[in-house]
Amino acid sequence: MVEESILTDDFLRELINVGEVDLLVGLDTFNDAKTVGNVMQAVRAGLLRYFPRLRTVVVNADGGSRDGTQELVRAASISDMRHVSNLSSLRTLHCISTQYSRESSGGGLHTILAAADLLRASSLVVISPESTNMEPEWVERLVRPVAKENYDLITPIYRRHKFDALLVRTLLYPMTRAMYGKRLREPIPTDFAFSGRLATQFLAQEPTPSDVGRMGAELQLSLSAMSGDFRVGQSFLGTRERIEHGAAELVPAMRRTVGVLFASLENFAVWSAVKESQPVPTIGVEHEVNLEPLRVNRKRLHQMFATGVAELDPVLRSILYDTTLAELKALALQPEEEFVFPNELWATTVYEFAASHHQAVISRDHVIQALAPLYRGKALAFVLENRDASGVEIEKNVEAICLSFESLKPYLLEMWETGK
Amino acid sequence: MPASQDALWYKDAVIYQVHVRTFYDSNGDGIGDFRGLAQKLDYLQDLGVTAIWLMPFFPSPLRDDGYDIADYRTVHPSYGTLDDFKLFLEAAHQRNIKVIIELVLNHTSDQHAWFQESRKSKDNPKRDWYVWSDTDTRYKGTRIIFIDTEMSNWAWDPVSKEYYWHRFFSHQPDLNYDNPALREEMWDVTKFWLDMGVDAFRLDAVPYLVEREGTNCENLPETHAVIKDLRKRMDEHYPERMLLAEANQWPSDLRPYFGDGDEFNMAFHFPLMPRMFMGLKLEDRKPITEILQQTPAIPESCQWCIFLRNHDELTLEMVTDMERDYMYDEYAKDKSMRLNLGIRRRLAPLLDNDRRRIELMNGMLMSLPGTPIVYYGDEIGMGDNVNLGDRNGVRTPMQWDGGWNGGFSSADPEMVYSPLMLNPVYGFQALNVQSQKRFDHSLLSWMKRLIKVRKSTPVFGRGSIEFLYPANHRVLAYVRQLGRETVLIVNNLSSSAQAVELDLKRYKGNVLIEMFGRNLFPRIGDLPYLLTMGPYEFFWFRLRRI
Repeated sequence: MVEESILTDDFLRELINVGEVDLLVGLDTFNDAKTVGNVMQAVRAGLLRYFPRLRTVVVNADGGSRDGTQELVRAASISDMRHVSNLSSLRTLHCISTQYSRESSGGGLHTILAAADLLRASSLVVISPESTNMEPEWVERLVRPVAKENYDLITPIYRRHKFDALLVRTLLYPMTRAMYGKRLREPIPTDFAFSGRLATQFLAQEPTPSDVGRMGAELQLSLSAMSGDFRVGQSFLGTRERIEHGAAELVPAMRRTVGVLFASLENFAVWSAVKESQPVPTIGVEHEVNLEPLRVNRKRLHQMFATGVAELDPVLRSILYDTTLAELKALALQPEEEFVFPNELWATTVYEFAASHHQAVISRDHVIQALAPLYRGKALAFVLENRDASGVEIEKNVEAICLSFESLKPYLLEMWETGK
Repeated sequence: MPASQDALWYKDAVIYQVHVRTFYDSNGDGIGDFRGLAQKLDYLQDLGVTAIWLMPFFPSPLRDDGYDIADYRTVHPSYGTLDDFKLFLEAAHQRNIKVIIELVLNHTSDQHAWFQESRKSKDNPKRDWYVWSDTDTRYKGTRIIFIDTEMSNWAWDPVSKEYYWHRFFSHQPDLNYDNPALREEMWDVTKFWLDMGVDAFRLDAVPYLVEREGTNCENLPETHAVIKDLRKRMDEHYPERMLLAEANQWPSDLRPYFGDGDEFNMAFHFPLMPRMFMGLKLEDRKPITEILQQTPAIPESCQWCIFLRNHDELTLEMVTDMERDYMYDEYAKDKSMRLNLGIRRRLAPLLDNDRRRIELMNGMLMSLPGTPIVYYGDEIGMGDNVNLGDRNGVRTPMQWDGGWNGGFSSADPEMVYSPLMLNPVYGFQALNVQSQKRFDHSLLSWMKRLIKVRKSTPVFGRGSIEFLYPANHRVLAYVRQLGRETVLIVNNLSSSAQAVELDLKRYKGNVLIEMFGRNLFPRIGDLPYLLTMGPYEFFWFRLRRI
């Protein structure tokens, strides 16, 4: 049976016209008209300023925007950018755009990778269309280590608000680090660079099951790099503006991230052999944390945690050990202002979920959904613990979470083999 | 008497640039001469060129390859006599070949009698024929052109105890065009050669004729006035002659030199040349299309002169710093090749002796708008010798055969004015006219065919140009049109095969006829016209509605 290509004839024709490139810039968009114009200008300015000699192409994979995103990407030029005057290019700067189905496996990143493979790009950089405060220097900081210093994957480090990206800080970073041994602060990067070598290998991998495969390709790529013979590093970019996410967005986000992470553990041989984590080379200044005051609806978080623990009792019984569930129920009774979610309990909880996901004790999607309210509890605890903390203290507390995950890895290994 | 009655002959010309010293030595003294050049006119006629541009042949101490003139009205004895020149001129005209000579207006040698007079004292009648000053602070901020050798535009004269102005070497004092007597004298010089029958003049270093405080001393209105006056006089008494401007400037700054068709007939398009090399290396048409899009329209009677190489360094003055760095990195990795913001190499070595690239560049030279100039020796792919100092490495003797001194001279090799090329790749033993004449596939044979095809239609010299912008940026495609004649030129700038789709809808119904083989290509229809091209390949198509 002939496989349907993810590349349309028109897109393929555009790729033919571009020809071989040294650097491919990927932009995965969906209704990003408000922000993508500025991002494109920063990208183009970065290319002109720092890589004027490279053959480059911007490939926009769009998930079916209806707000003119694709047109904005095509039309973006640097002529309006005040702080990039006096820039000119040696070469034609290509910008091509195609649509992909959001139902397709791998989504936009796979389209970008397929394009890179055909164009034999030796370096790739993916930029988030939501990186509204992106500077041209981000391009340089991401691309240079890959293009000139033989790195295969460069993920970003941002100066974030202390309460931003809590899912990354409390779960994804600690667990990825414990499983795969690399201390990548942003294991699910939205702005990152990687080598053509990594891209080719990733494309050649067996496709992940469709219910996971169309999500979290970025995380899958990171995990491939961390678990394979690839040189991995991270580069400080700058401040990343906080993006407000609605409560309803948590579960889809967890599917794309935690779900993918759990699914990756099916490759048991890879993560089980890792005994401890190592720092990865970090390029640029050490990141700081933005300590500006921020209102967090702690009451709501507490409520969602407590309600979740209560209402999901039958589900949680099939996932968690009795002792773990009992501890969580006791937590749910703590008043909000005294709420503490110990790191060991959190790590234990996550690992029991991971093991249940592996064993598919219930639908794997339900496993992920059930974790959401428990994560909210941990998020609340983090906010409370760090509300007056300095940047150094926050880092220490994140490190403590990581160490819990690392020290309890044998527990996961034991559960994995013996089952709950 | 001019050989042709067509007043715009220069638009259809193919010019051959040569220094008489380098071409052929008839008397065995090791230096090329006019009698020798005359003997080689058949070769040039056979090549197909229609005009010869001679580099300076006047008496000179030769400290700047003859651009330091010591006498405007005769011939350097090394090259023969004035009579020899006249014989050469007549022989050229008999072959319908025009002759363009240098007129170095801006400066003389410090050995010129005028300067010797001028420096004698501040009261000398010719004092004011040059630009003197008691300080070296006038015209501050004027750029130095020969940055590798000169520190200032002023030089101290110990004889007359004042500074004199020189935009080039310090032994080349600038003439003062604010002096009416000097201007009359220069007209008289011009008339001298016009009366003899010379068809045209290349005016060297024209932007710098006049200086004014508070300016950059380039392209001043007063300079244009000098040229206009010269042109007016020439047109009145010597119609169908031509003035060619040497002005290394941006196209927009060059435009005034054409005036309203009442100043220069032609000007070199300097900024295009490095961009052709850049486009080739980048495998991207952008540098070429951009500079030509920025090139202003010129009066109908005027023409650009385009070239790939010449006697000077490949100049990188009219590019950005980034472009210059790129060109140095790609074409002059060895820093000894770099001189005065340029690269002192010949065409073939610049292109790694790659026949395909040499052909492509010559194809563009012959098809882009303007009158093309072929630098002597490039038609056989001669090499260079950067070790000869200054720009002498691109001015070695012409290689006629594999014998004694490459057939250039019967003198002892030690007497030849310059060492010949000896290495196994470019040496005269292997690379010479005689061996290339024997084979249809030689570069020389190919160049003859190229020139012949170019001359087969006036569209290349006189037609308009419209760029096509196919999505494949590695392909440079344009349409030349003159009246009902339409020619499509497609160039693959890439080292790999390319497919290109051209939007030729407006020419729908035309059949393409490839101009070298005269074979038919498919008719243009509604769909984009697909061409597949080998590495560095180019096509010239005549469009015919059949």
